[in-house]
Amino acid sequence: MEFLELLQTGRPLLLDGGMGTMLQAKGLPVGAAPELTALEHPEWLLDIHRAYVEAGSQILYANTFGANREKLSHCGKTVEEIVPAAVALAKEAAGDHALVALDIGPTGQLLEPTGLLDFETAVDIFGQVVRAGAAAGADLIAIETMTDLQEARAALLAAKENSSLPVLVTMTYEATGRTFLGCSPAAAALTLEGMGADAIGVNCSLGPREMPPLVEELLQWTTLPIVLKPNAGLPHPDGSGYDITPEEFAHSLAQLTELGVQVFGGCCGTTPAYISLLKQALEGRRVKRTPANIPAAVCSGMQVVPIDRVRVIGERINPTGKKRMKEALKAGDVDYMLGQALEQTEAGADILDVNVGLPEIDEAEMMVRTVKALQGVTEAPLQLDSTQPAVLERALRVYCGKAIVNSVNGEEATLDAILPLVKKYGAAVVGLTLDEGGIPKSAQKRLEIAQKILDKALSYGIRREDVYIDCLTLTVSAEPEGAVQTLEALGRVKRELGLKTVLGVSNISFGLPARPLVNQNFLTMAMSAGLDLPILNPNMDAMMAAVRCFHLLTNVDENARAFIAAYGNAQVSTSITTSGANAAPAPASGGKRDLSEIVITGLKGEAGPATKALLESREPMDIVDHILIPALDQVGADFEANRVFLPQLIQSAGAAQAAFEVIRDTLAQKEGGSVSRGTIVLATVKGDIHDIGKNIVKVLLENYGYTVIDLGRDVPPEAVVEAARKHQAPLVGLSALMTTTLKSMAETIQALHGAGLPCKIMVGGAVLTPDYAQQIHADFYAKDAKESVDIAKRVIG
Amino acid sequence: MAGTKPPPSTRNISYLLSPISKLLSQESVTLLPISLTKLNPDEALRYMGTPPEKAGADLRALVEVCAREVLAASRPRWAYRVFSLSFEDGGVRLNCGLLLPGQDLKRHLKDCRQAAVFCATLSAQVDALIRRAESGDMLRALALDCCAAAAVEEVCNQIEGGLQSQFPGCYFPFRYSPGYGDLPLTLQGPLLNLLDAPRKVGLCASATHILTPRKSVTAILGIADHPIQTNTRSCVGCPARDGCQYRKSGGHCGIS
Repeated sequence: MEFLELLQTGRPLLLDGGMGTMLQAKGLPVGAAPELTALEHPEWLLDIHRAYVEAGSQILYANTFGANREKLSHCGKTVEEIVPAAVALAKEAAGDHALVALDIGPTGQLLEPTGLLDFETAVDIFGQVVRAGAAAGADLIAIETMTDLQEARAALLAAKENSSLPVLVTMTYEATGRTFLGCSPAAAALTLEGMGADAIGVNCSLGPREMPPLVEELLQWTTLPIVLKPNAGLPHPDGSGYDITPEEFAHSLAQLTELGVQVFGGCCGTTPAYISLLKQALEGRRVKRTPANIPAAVCSGMQVVPIDRVRVIGERINPTGKKRMKEALKAGDVDYMLGQALEQTEAGADILDVNVGLPEIDEAEMMVRTVKALQGVTEAPLQLDSTQPAVLERALRVYCGKAIVNSVNGEEATLDAILPLVKKYGAAVVGLTLDEGGIPKSAQKRLEIAQKILDKALSYGIRREDVYIDCLTLTVSAEPEGAVQTLEALGRVKRELGLKTVLGVSNISFGLPARPLVNQNFLTMAMSAGLDLPILNPNMDAMMAAVRCFHLLTNVDENARAFIAAYGNAQVSTSITTSGANAAPAPASGGKRDLSEIVITGLKGEAGPATKALLESREPMDIVDHILIPALDQVGADFEANRVFLPQLIQSAGAAQAAFEVIRDTLAQKEGGSVSRGTIVLATVKGDIHDIGKNIVKVLLENYGYTVIDLGRDVPPEAVVEAARKHQAPLVGLSALMTTTLKSMAETIQALHGAGLPCKIMVGGAVLTPDYAQQIHADFYAKDAKESVDIAKRVIG
Repeated sequence: MAGTKPPPSTRNISYLLSPISKLLSQESVTLLPISLTKLNPDEALRYMGTPPEKAGADLRALVEVCAREVLAASRPRWAYRVFSLSFEDGGVRLNCGLLLPGQDLKRHLKDCRQAAVFCATLSAQVDALIRRAESGDMLRALALDCCAAAAVEEVCNQIEGGLQSQFPGCYFPFRYSPGYGDLPLTLQGPLLNLLDAPRKVGLCASATHILTPRKSVTAILGIADHPIQTNTRSCVGCPARDGCQYRKSGGHCGIS
């Protein structure tokens, strides 16, 4: 019987037990690569597999756990040598009594953002293993011991793209209920089921006694069969083994059929004796799985957001109508978007919309960079927003979790291009109620389009709960009937189709005075009509207030806890000033400090308002040249003389940055206005992730008015050359902190010289010396951040 | 470090008090929680390039806050194994077969018949905390980064204390890590492998031999059964010592 048929019987299914434990007993030395056993001691593997078959295992895991090219790179053997040999041995032992799983463990390297391994590279590494395993005749693929959901995704995607075998995925959790990297069973379940796993569960790290809470969480979030392959209990404090007996292992694990677990086995410390007893304990047991309704929800790798109340989607990461954002996108400045993200989540956004579409840039590339960077700093799930299917696919691949795709509409071509992506990557999708004929005026017609989108999504195998309908807001000043129709359509989609609804609310008030008032009231009306996912600017307190009040008044906010937390100490004003502007915060302390003093003292909060005030009487560049730069120079000189230290230098830079932000905004309003003295490309070289020093240099350079193109960390030489050429940068700065990555620095310099670019190159980093800098043909060695500014002045002026 | 190491903590080490013979014959790596409840703020200040005595109240307050955040985000995990040593021309060989190449460690361990190899990490959550701060406030990011470095030191001190109490009557040269002297960073992967660290504590080495999560350490603690001349870690062999911020503020970077 095949794996999927075995699952469908609803009867318990028995995997094998530990392999490492058994190999050590056979004599495998500490630190040796277990994968080599397939070639060096095939008889050991045959013995072990046969013992498990005799114990009753219905599925054997081939000894391919670490048989990927990353792990094998040091032992001189290839995936194509090891995997077929290991699978063949398992098949020989299995005969007709058991199936064989291609076992896929982690690559042994951490993926971005914690590590350096790129997602697509991981997919490629696993793809090679999958092809070898499938060709060797494995019956299924078992991805196991994953602690990073992103790595599990990479392996699952590789399994799906390189074979048609069923896939079982188990992750390893700590007693806290999270993996080492912070992933919860809920996030794993939503994501892995979405991407097409056939069974999911838990292996390694804990024992059977610690399984029930993990199982209970999984059951709330998946309809898939649950797999448990735990250790033989918890390790003994003295390292001499594990803390439960085979009898207890079998007994406590078999009981979990009552919870609904179907697939059982053992990991570290378990032997054929455990599996044999487990088989006896499972005899005659039935899997009692109660069908669960899995709620609508999205997630990142770290955080699940169920759509069980109004959830705010922050709209700020979108260049439409935002000059500053457009500038940032053109400069490839991802940091700007990270700032926007953190501001919105602090203001209360649950989900962030991400749109980086701008005609002049490579949208797909920018989208990938932005999604990766955002997931490095925020746990909020993302809504991937683009009109280009190719951009959406690139974003969906690298997004860790269950995303929202924004959007499809009633046009056949759009549905057929995008819905397959939504299905493949397990996302949710926003359906706009418009089609070839535009936005219908009537609620009835919009409902019909919603129905069409839903039917089409269901036909692609997308869950009903994953379709969110946007009934579209029209500007009420232009379409007086529009608001009523939108609200009616929204209510009917909710009631008649039972779908979650999403709506961008800010457009309603376009062309009207007192827009916040209109927006806030429209939002309240929409929530009453059944809106689940408003897309709005969470930095506008009026909007967040409407959401908080709605939760308070509908008793979602139990005991008014969230409301009191937000407003318990606040002076709330319900009035709106005629100018509509937010009042600037009062100066922090009595007495006016001048801007120079503010920068030297590093008072970030006062720098912006002080600059605003100065701009009324002085020209922007005058302030830069005669106040900000001299103040920074003085701090720099004090730093060199050991009168102030690195923290003060950074603090002053922070204050100057706040001043520059105001000046940049002012200049952005004027045509062609720019504050830049010249462009500098910065990068932490390939292979290195220690970039805090480079980031400090960046802040300082920006504050001297240079435009910094920050390529980030682990940057390949080609990318540095490309950026230097594209931006015609007269100066490139490279950093490396490790002796092992100095080589990359030399290669990058060589590439820059090889490309014949006229730029000068400065280098810095803890292990660098002036001699070495000269030896690798750098033009300048910067011993600290301050000196990098001196170099920029010499090169650019 | 500057030669004055805090006394080894004696908390939470009762689990280590098992017979040595059992330890040496253990099959799997010991994996136990340690208790990270404090870190040395002066050390964090030094990492920030500020001599502690010159730090103002604001900066101290920032370091205190960041220290609390780092401690709260940390999930310290560690693993160790004890090996017997043999000395050869190219370096020191562990009894599992792994050669630790170079002359500096060999000299450092010359009086030792055994050594404990250990690794420790604060976990990926601390990296994430620092990353988040870097996209907002660089000073806070620097403070968090330096507090994390101080926290790793604290974890290592505790592990070292725990290991030392395992071997009563023995003597220990300071712990030695890849990157010190001529001990290559390429050893990071093989050392982690010996400890099954990727699987047991979630600590990996990149293709360029960088430990990830970043706030992590691997180290070798020699064990001698007779008194030895004790050395302290120093910057003497470091190529970066002239321009070094840490040295300037009287500290040690923890790298070399």
